[in-house]
Amino acid sequence: MAYRAHCLICTGTGCVAGGSFNLRKTLEAEIAKRGLDREIQVITTGCQGFCAEGPIMIVQPDGVFYCRVEERDVPAIVEEHLLKGRPVKKLLYTPPTEKAPIPALKDIPFFAKQKLIVLRNRGLIDPDRIEDYIAVDGYTALGKALTQMTPEGIVLEIKRSGLRGRGGGGFPAGIKWETCRHAGQVRGVAPVVICNADEGDPGAFMDRSIIESDPHSVVEGMIIAARGIGASEGFVYIRHEYPLARQRLQLALDHAREFGLLGKNILGAGMDFDIEIREGAGAFVCGESTALMASLEGKLGEPRAKYIHTVEHGYQDRPSNLNNVETYANVPLIILRGADWFASMGTGDVKENPWNGSSGTKVFSLVGKINNTGLIEVPMGISLREIIFDIGGGIPKGRKFKAVQTGGPSGGCLPEEKLDMAVDFDSLTEAGSMMGSGGMIVMDEQTCMVDVARYFIAFLTEESCGKCTPCREGLKTMLDVLTRIGDGKGRMEDLGLLEEMGAVMQDCCLCALGTSAPNPVLSTLQYFRHEYEAHIRDKKCPGGVCKELITYGIDPAKCDGCHACVRACSTAAIMGEVKKVHTLDVHKCIKCGACIEVCRRDAITRT
Amino acid sequence: MKTIKLKINGIETEAPDRTPLLQAAERMGIRIPTLCHHPLLEPYGVCRICTVEVRIRNRVRMVTACNYPVTNGIEVFTDSERVRRNRRMILEWMLARCGHVPVLNRLAEEYGVTEPRFGRGDDDCILCGLCVKVCSEVVGANVLGFFDRGPNRTVSTAYDRTSDRCITCGACAQVCPTGAIRIKDDQEGIYQAMPMGPLTSINIDFMQAVPRKAVIDRDSCIHFKTGKCQVCVDVCEAKAIDHKQEDRVEEVEVGTILLTTGFQLQDPRVLKEYGYGKYKNIMTSLDFEVLNNAGGPTAGKILTADGKVPKSIGIVHCVGSRDQKYHEYCSRVCCMYALKFAHLIKEKIHGCEVYNFYIDMRCFGKGYEEFYNRLLREGVNFVRGKVAEINDAALDPSEEGKLIMRAEDTMIGVVRRIPVDMVVLCLAMEAKPEAKHLSHLFSCSTGKDGFFTEKHPKLAPVSTPADGIFIAGACQGPKDIPDTVAQAGAAASAALSLIQRGEVETEAVTATIQEEMCSGCQICVGVCPYTAITYDKGKNKSSINDALCKGCGTCVAACPAGAAYQKHFRDQQIFAEIDGILAI
Amino acid sequence: MSSTPDNFEPRIVAFLCNWCSYTGADLAGISRMNYPANVRAIRLMCSGSVKPFFIMSALHKGADGVLIGGCHIGDCHYQTGNHLTKKRIPITRELLGALGIDPRRVRLEWISAAEGQEFAEVIHEFVKELKALGPNPLAGGDHAH
Repeated sequence: MAYRAHCLICTGTGCVAGGSFNLRKTLEAEIAKRGLDREIQVITTGCQGFCAEGPIMIVQPDGVFYCRVEERDVPAIVEEHLLKGRPVKKLLYTPPTEKAPIPALKDIPFFAKQKLIVLRNRGLIDPDRIEDYIAVDGYTALGKALTQMTPEGIVLEIKRSGLRGRGGGGFPAGIKWETCRHAGQVRGVAPVVICNADEGDPGAFMDRSIIESDPHSVVEGMIIAARGIGASEGFVYIRHEYPLARQRLQLALDHAREFGLLGKNILGAGMDFDIEIREGAGAFVCGESTALMASLEGKLGEPRAKYIHTVEHGYQDRPSNLNNVETYANVPLIILRGADWFASMGTGDVKENPWNGSSGTKVFSLVGKINNTGLIEVPMGISLREIIFDIGGGIPKGRKFKAVQTGGPSGGCLPEEKLDMAVDFDSLTEAGSMMGSGGMIVMDEQTCMVDVARYFIAFLTEESCGKCTPCREGLKTMLDVLTRIGDGKGRMEDLGLLEEMGAVMQDCCLCALGTSAPNPVLSTLQYFRHEYEAHIRDKKCPGGVCKELITYGIDPAKCDGCHACVRACSTAAIMGEVKKVHTLDVHKCIKCGACIEVCRRDAITRT
Repeated sequence: MKTIKLKINGIETEAPDRTPLLQAAERMGIRIPTLCHHPLLEPYGVCRICTVEVRIRNRVRMVTACNYPVTNGIEVFTDSERVRRNRRMILEWMLARCGHVPVLNRLAEEYGVTEPRFGRGDDDCILCGLCVKVCSEVVGANVLGFFDRGPNRTVSTAYDRTSDRCITCGACAQVCPTGAIRIKDDQEGIYQAMPMGPLTSINIDFMQAVPRKAVIDRDSCIHFKTGKCQVCVDVCEAKAIDHKQEDRVEEVEVGTILLTTGFQLQDPRVLKEYGYGKYKNIMTSLDFEVLNNAGGPTAGKILTADGKVPKSIGIVHCVGSRDQKYHEYCSRVCCMYALKFAHLIKEKIHGCEVYNFYIDMRCFGKGYEEFYNRLLREGVNFVRGKVAEINDAALDPSEEGKLIMRAEDTMIGVVRRIPVDMVVLCLAMEAKPEAKHLSHLFSCSTGKDGFFTEKHPKLAPVSTPADGIFIAGACQGPKDIPDTVAQAGAAASAALSLIQRGEVETEAVTATIQEEMCSGCQICVGVCPYTAITYDKGKNKSSINDALCKGCGTCVAACPAGAAYQKHFRDQQIFAEIDGILAI
Repeated sequence: MSSTPDNFEPRIVAFLCNWCSYTGADLAGISRMNYPANVRAIRLMCSGSVKPFFIMSALHKGADGVLIGGCHIGDCHYQTGNHLTKKRIPITRELLGALGIDPRRVRLEWISAAEGQEFAEVIHEFVKELKALGPNPLAGGDHAH
């Protein structure tokens, strides 16, 4: 059937929460009602990445990008756009600093500067249909790998591409595969291929989107890896909190098996390999490789010393290759287009040594005080400034950029002077942060850096497995100190204490959760020491966040008496007549922030 | 095993490749502190206090010595400033949780941590995991585990409930470095019932045991409960331990048997009034012998359970002997060894008051009475009267912790109340409970007192009615060592003379069973006091052993079929006699 | 019942055990103790070998009284022989009673090897008793001895 147009509705979790499944039903019903069902097809696709603007719908072949689509918009879309060819203006995307909407997706800056390798199929295919994936050259790489390449050749290709682990460690995947393969041969034990889909960083959703939008890319990557390493068994360890992703992945595995791409004698090339999904149970620490493998074995999810590498002795004491979802998703295109193509993107020269640079692209989740919140993929080496201002659209409400936090709880905060640095593994580490799994949290002047450090330490204290002394006790004491500083009870020697504790934790903790835990504290101390000092010496919170140190107030210059804050306040701390300047009683104020949420004039002050 | 070279603190050394760094350092006498390490367990590496600096090809790495495998060419620094700084901080962190634990405070002193910046917490578990690991890796009971995570991590049993998988082996308490695990007495007094302390499941009975070999008690050995442990096998250099040994039944044909099965001391717990097992520092005479022995738990020092030197000791004679409730007989040896104890105590502890509570002083042997007189001169207090009760009811603070002995002093007609630090009970010598069974097996009867009955109390004290079976020693009745030795010699020579002779004289008037008339009813077997008649199951006939038959003729009278007859006393002969008598 | 002649001398058959009662009787003799000549001894090894049949046979053949002598309880040379005797004789006496023979004609005595005096006394007593009982009704004819 030749359709004249397609309506692609995003069904990533974000848009699903916005009602995109219902949107699809309504749209299909309306199209059918108008007798257009033979001409126009409605397809659900994976995450488009522009999550703050969801539910997203794209109409092809026009390439028109609609955002914040609701069910009640359906008649207008069908009537105006599908029948009469006139895009619905009010549903188009208008950048916050612009007046005019940008109808075409390719023109929207959020999308324009991205380079989609891993996310190449997002928004294009229905993730539930293997036929769609195959139609866009899916599994061709597998065919090439099985019929035209040797297993050693596969490993070498990945090595030469310079692909480095996308889960946070940045370890060259090719070297890992090579070591794993070698261990399997030397020990005579069958290796195993494991995909880490535990994605524990708060605010990170890259892996989830990849699996929800294009699960087959991961599956294909794993099969190719298994061929290179010599494994016949594979696992995907996915966190319990990703039911939709898990469902899509299971469906993909079932379809792959039906098509002879998993199981015995794959593609008739004599390769046996199958993948099993295993679920986590709510522990951040199980994203760590040894804890993950312990969990897979049914044991307590705790890390162990890595003096003996898991790539030689891992799951069930077998050579185990553990890579992140995004890492595997890169593999098919590398095989298909070649290592040189991949190495041509990014920084450094990785042809002789993958450690010499960062090749390819990286998926980031861009969140925080940013206009364009969502999922992006950019080539390695792009500057922070480009990401935040060009793609991200800058800081909302005209506020000033303060810092960007990269790498999740293991990463650090980078200040304004670092905006022009290239984003790649080594540069970020050198600056005191790290790439991590790709979380990027943007902060403006209304963020308190002490509070940010406290937030991450609180998260890690909760998630620490508690096995080793420095992590368990160190995080607790760090949290106590940071809380004290936030409450205005800090002492100047606390800063030295934090640095000392951080250094000991970096030296002595058993796993990377512990050794990287001090990063948020140490990087904020490095770049924002003055904020700590303000909390301690002046008992003030420059960001206006730490409750003990701020008082709320109403700026009479901005208040227009709309009374919204009075309605929002739960303690009746705000008084005033409608259309007259309101006042705030600091004794009743509990600093919950509800008034700030509703005030359209930005009249609530925090000092 | 490949040997590699490495440097520790500047000193070159060698070690097998991949040895844990801690071991390599220990071999050189370099001490690295550990808290969660135990030689019997897989290294856990969680306390992190053994973290040291390792330099490999210009790269510096901080690693835990307990589980880091050494490789060729590494340089290790176990006591650099960085290492010490890390250790101090770790100690401060640990003290914040467990501020009063001795082992932590000792280390803290060593590293100069006098004022921990995070205060001193009140917990006593440092979460080293040794108890969990010993319970799963060695013992195999898997009772303990870690629960919750992060700062809330604890060690406990499943659901915090008493586990029915716990075999109360005490291994967890043994390995705990802080004393956080304690063994609680579940039954009152059960621990005090072993005043010398609990024994290990593998044990050499006592220092002078012959043969001096260890024996494994199956009932308490962990290996028989869980299939694991076997630590003894690992540490035995001679590889002499074999858990698979089974009881063997061996059949040996012999002509003479000597029964020398000994005695047991009465169980003191039945005499509840003496409080054995209820109060500390009350012991039996054998307990006191162990305590006093140079090879015993205190190397021969007489000490109370708290390790203090007692200032007064009470010795009670006739516990369970000469007592209509327990044993009417006198146990013969107690008076003399009680006097011996008194003398030993006086010798070892100057100024110790010794009280002997007796009914009569039985000093029957050579030098015995003279010894008693000597003790009277040494100032031992003799109280003639039975001890009615021993308790701990202190009347004033000076009596706290003492044992109060109440006895009537019949000489002066006053009930005395004497507080002492320690009590020794001279318990009755009893026949062993197996004696009854043995007496049936060897057809020698036991008397009312439970001891084996000799053939004749004066003329055959080591023989039994059955020829060739002899008894000697305490199994025949309470006796001391000289008497036992004499009896043993007698029994041995009796046995030897039988063996020497090579032949046995049988009675002339033995009985015989006519096989064709025997119905296999076995009535005769039961009446023969000499077990001379055996029943053959296969033939269903009984037959008489000529060598054992004494010719009493009881079986003849008992046989319902008239199958048995006695030589020279056949029925016809008797009838002829009757006829003859009545003819006149 | 025929009247007892004045010159009736009862005949007693005594089954004596070799070790105690026979020796005791011997002792009585050696010590020149006087006792009536009515008793004739049959020596057996143990009182336990006395079959009830012997007792009945003796009575049947005309003995006026049967004495069974054994060791004191606990002193039997063969340990337990006299225990059986102790059980058997009362039963035998009852049986004889049922058969019409006065049970008092059968007597069981424990006499040790040292008790010559007691043996003599027993015989005196037994003879006296038997004289009072009269001759054995099973015996026919004269018993002039």
